Formats: sequence, C-alpha cells, structure tokens
Amino acid sequence: MTAPAPAPAAAARLTARELTLAYEDRTVVHDLDLAIPDGKVTVIVGPNACGKSTTLRALGRLLKPRGGSVLLDGEALAKLPTRHIAQQVGLLPQTPVAPEAITVGDLVARGRQPHQRWWQQWSDADETAVTEAMERTDVAALAERSVDELSGGQRQRVWIAMALAQQTDILLLDEPTTYLDISHQVEVLDLVRQLAAPTPAGERGRTVVVVLHDLNQAARYADHLVAMKEGRVVARGTPAEVVTEDLVGEVFGLDCVVVPDPVTGSPLVVPGAPWQPQDPGTSAAPAGPSAPLDKKPPLDKKPPLDERPTS
Amino acid sequence: MTKTDDRSAFGHPAGASERRAPGAGQPSRVRPPGYAVLRFRKATFLLHRRSAAVTAALALTLAAASLAYLCVGETFVHPLEALKVVLGHPSPDELVVGTLREPRMTVGLLVGAAFGVAGALIQTVARNPLASPDIIGISQGASAVTVGAMTFGVTSYTLLPYLSVAGGILAALLVYVFAWRGGLHATRFVLIGIGFAIALRSVTTLFMTKGDYLVAQQAQIWMTGSLNGRGWPEADPLALTLLVLLPFVAWAARAQRTAAMDDDTATALGVRLGRVRFGLVLLGVVLASVATGAAGPVDFVALLAPQIARRLTRTAQIPLLSSALLGALIVVLADLLARKLFAPTELPVGVLTAAVGAPYLIWLIIRSRSVRNGGTA
Repeated sequence: MTAPAPAPAAAARLTARELTLAYEDRTVVHDLDLAIPDGKVTVIVGPNACGKSTTLRALGRLLKPRGGSVLLDGEALAKLPTRHIAQQVGLLPQTPVAPEAITVGDLVARGRQPHQRWWQQWSDADETAVTEAMERTDVAALAERSVDELSGGQRQRVWIAMALAQQTDILLLDEPTTYLDISHQVEVLDLVRQLAAPTPAGERGRTVVVVLHDLNQAARYADHLVAMKEGRVVARGTPAEVVTEDLVGEVFGLDCVVVPDPVTGSPLVVPGAPWQPQDPGTSAAPAGPSAPLDKKPPLDKKPPLDERPTS
Repeated sequence: MTKTDDRSAFGHPAGASERRAPGAGQPSRVRPPGYAVLRFRKATFLLHRRSAAVTAALALTLAAASLAYLCVGETFVHPLEALKVVLGHPSPDELVVGTLREPRMTVGLLVGAAFGVAGALIQTVARNPLASPDIIGISQGASAVTVGAMTFGVTSYTLLPYLSVAGGILAALLVYVFAWRGGLHATRFVLIGIGFAIALRSVTTLFMTKGDYLVAQQAQIWMTGSLNGRGWPEADPLALTLLVLLPFVAWAARAQRTAAMDDDTATALGVRLGRVRFGLVLLGVVLASVATGAAGPVDFVALLAPQIARRLTRTAQIPLLSSALLGALIVVLADLLARKLFAPTELPVGVLTAAVGAPYLIWLIIRSRSVRNGGTA
C-alpha cells in the first residue's frame, strides 16, 4: 500500500494524451501530450493563465478533459474507480477549504480516507502514516489546534501533511509555496526533493508534480521541467535544457541573463534590463536609500501577466 | 525543530510506549485529537470522546423528560406507576399513560429524532446552518400536497402521510434540479429553496381559501405541527420507516466527514462527492418528509437540534446521534409545555418550537459568518 511499485527506469505511470481542457466554452489547454517521469520531480512553469494549474487539475481528475485523456498505468482516469486513483495519486489544490473548527490532527487524518472503510476507521498503518506526515512537515506540535487559528504558512504545511498522509506514489501540488515565506518555501521544496529521493533500500522515490510560479525555484528543484505558454508545452527537459535566455524571453516575455546558481549550479534567471524611471525627463539616479527596493520592479514589467487566473 | 519535544504536545505521555523498537514499526501514537480508537478484531472505529459524553448525557435527559411527559398532564401520575405501564405491568394508570400519553410521546420522539437528523444532513450538504427542511421548501412541499389533498376531500389519515412524503420529496427534487449548475452550489441551493418555500406556502394558502371552512381549520392545525390525537397508527409506520433508514443513517454519519470539505480536496481523496451529497440530501428529505407526514411540519426542530448538538460536541461535522436525541428532546419538552401551559386548552407543538426557534434563527443570522461565506459545496 505504501511502497511504490518498482517500475522500469524512465517509465511514466501518469501520462496525458492529446489532452484538451476547457472551462465552459473557453479552451485553456490544447492537444497536450505529457509524460510524468516516475520517481522524479516534475515542475510545470509558465506565465499566469498559461493553463499549468488546469493541466495539474486534469492530471488529478479534478477536471474532465474536453478531449483526449489522462492515463494512469495505461488506463484512462475516467475509467478507473476514484478510490483506486486516490490510493495512487494525491493532489493538493491551490486553495483547499477545511471543515469549520476542525483540528489539525483530524484534518491530516482525513488524508487516510482512500485507505479506510467504515469498519476500518483507524488502522496502525493510518496512525503511522499520519505520524510520519506530521513530523515531516513539522506540524506535530499543532495537532490539537484548530485549523482556523493557524497562520497561512502553518496551514499550508498542515494541508501538505494531509496529502502526505494519503501515501500516494504520485503527488500533485498546485503552487504549494504560495502562502509561505522564503524559509518555509525552501522547506516545502526540500521536502518535495526528499519525497522523490530513492529510498535507502534502492527503490525509487515518489513521483511529484509541482506547479510553481518562481522560475528560479523551479530550475533549482526540478528533475524535469515543463514550460507552458497559452495552453501548450513550449519546452521540456532538464532545467539546464529548458531555462535559457531565449526561452525565458519567449515564454515570459522577459529579457534576462541566465547564470549558474552559486549554490547548486542550476540555471538562475536574472532579469536583464535594469529598472529605469518611467519619466524620461528625470535623468537623475534613484535616491540612495530606496535603491535596494528598486531591484524588484523588473517583475512588474509584464502587465498582462499580473492578472491572476480565475481558475 | 525539536521533534521529540513536539511529540509530547499530542497529549500522550512521552514514555516507553512512545518509542518502540524500530523492528516493531514506527512510533505510532498520533491520532485525531479528541478521538478514541475502538477495536473489534480487525474492525476499528473512531469515537469522539466528547460526543460520546454528550450523547450519554442527552440520552439520560431525554429519558427523564419522557418520564415527566408521561407523568404530567390533566392528572398527575406517579413516576413509578408510569414506569410500570411502560414496562407492561398492570397499573391503574394504564389508560392515561398507556393509551393516551405513551403513543403520542412515541410519535413525538420519533418525529423529533427524524427532524434532527434531517436537519443535520441538509445543513451539512448546504454548509449552512439556515438550510433545514422547513426553510428550504421540503416541509412546505409536504404541506402543499397534504392540504391540497384535504381540500379535495381526502380525509384518510393512512393516506395523507404518504402524500406528504411525496410532496416533500417532489419539492426537494425541484430545488435540487434548479440549484444544479454543473455542480451543487451551496448558497444557490439555500436561496432557491427559500424561494420555493415561499411559493409553496402561497399554494397551500390558495388551497385553504378555496376549501371548506372546516377543512381549512383542520389543515391549519396540521400545518402548525401538532401531536394532538397522534398515536400508534402514526407511530408504527413511522418507527418502521426509521428502522429501515437506520443503515443509511449509519452510512451518512461516515460520509458526512468528507462532505464538509471542498470539492477538489474531497475528489482528490477519492470521494464521489456528487453522489455522496445527493445521498445525504435524499436521506434528509425522506426523513423530514416522513416526520412531516406524521405530525405536520413542526417548525425549527430540524434547524435547532443540529446546531445545538454541534455546539455541545464541538466536532468538525454535525453529530447525527446527538442531533437525533436533541430533536426528540425538543419535541417532547415542547409538547409537554404545549399540553400544560394553557391547560385545558392545548397548543399545537409547532407553536412552541417556533416560539423558541424563531429568535434563535434571527440570532444565528446576525452572528453567522458562514451565511456570507457560503461558497460552493
């Protein structure tokens, strides 16, 4: 139940074939073919509204394809019992809603749902899985607190704990770092790597698919990077293959310089054009004290991308 | 980051049992807080400790209230005599207790329990404390059909309850269909239900003004919800129906856990939320309709009981058993007062439940945040 089935190298249990996804009459993803490599961290990146979250939802059968299909072990998700899928594929949505006044321990325990029956509400395996999940996400001390009263960062870790307690071989995370400060972001992403790492016994780790906003984090943590734009895959491969100055320009419309990350050597995107005052009349350099803050504005240079997708 | 220290925060004594030898598996001591694990061979059940205590306390209170109900009335009966009658021993108070009060009380208990569970189920699905069968049109549907039948000359008290059930289910179905738009939206469900309730109420009024004066009066009393004249002929089919529904209620108690989550999370956990919701609503509607058929729409019981029960147990979902006991308790106490308050004149029990329930409803609306945050269910 817990151990991932041994699979041949470079195999992909989860694949998408000619996937077309739409909300009502708006097509968001067109004819997408995708194979999620087993035991690796796949990160999907792209500008806002490029369909990356939509794709993830379809991989987790939260969204029915308009065309094509998502296959788990060669079988279309639509044809598999949802409970069976839930034992293999876990998914953490972008904004999950907890039942009112639920405690942390209770919420994490609900991740065991697909492994339980009404006459098997709490097995030893449940207890082990919940304990492990809570320790890994460092929320064990919060067990008796109400989820309502947690900070955003704590709450996100509790949700991740719930997804981990589900003990699925494949885990899909939709922007899991959104509400976290940088140290917790790194913690979550380290955890993702740790999940995908081979076990000491030599078995492959879990398969993780993450949607991320931050291209540098994506480049640093992904084994397999998928770049999407306007509902299509523009590039895929290792971060070194995908994150190039040309590609960032094409996908995000950003002039940049790609340098090796001083710590890991993975590609690091540095916005290329320095910030300039909007008013051409003022030639004076920005005032000293505000200069460090001014490093951020290049991100704001892409107005159409600042609109959050409603999906 | 001291993980071993964190562990003691679970309320388990940090000790030998905490850390077992690695060969014996992981140190596995984390349980949902507040729950005890019951084991019967391979089967395991989670028991919420506080809910168990609340349930026991409610059961005792209900027993006491029931006994009081049997003793108090036009003539006072000694509790021991009343107990004798209930247990089937010969007693001089056989007529008053056994023939008059006991069957009526039984109907009250069953009706209250059914309303309590119905309210709990519908509130769970709608994620809204306002959504109870008497608010979202189910009771009104039952009333409209029943009163309609009465004005068309149906007087058979064996037939009317079935018509009432049919009316309730029909109304619920209409609300469900109109509220459905590629999924069940909680707020829309409640609002459309309220709309239907108003429309159906005016249909009922239409029937009453069209009908004969005596029929209208009879219908009016039925519509307020009354236990007057109710006895074994109502209690028996009601008890049988509830018995048949009991396994479904057991299923619902478990299914409720996931129905309280958002759609995406529940689906990711392998729950067919659409089906679960439909099942829960259907069960709630059947229960409410059956109860309405027996005693008329006893207002606010379905609204009050689950909310009070949840505040008592402090669980993440509405507790079904406590809701049932509270519903029964409310109806029995209200009917006791209804009989006694203006004796020898009897009030319909629905008047009393409404007198308590309406202020509570207003209070709920004033302080409720979840009305605004209805969201999708």
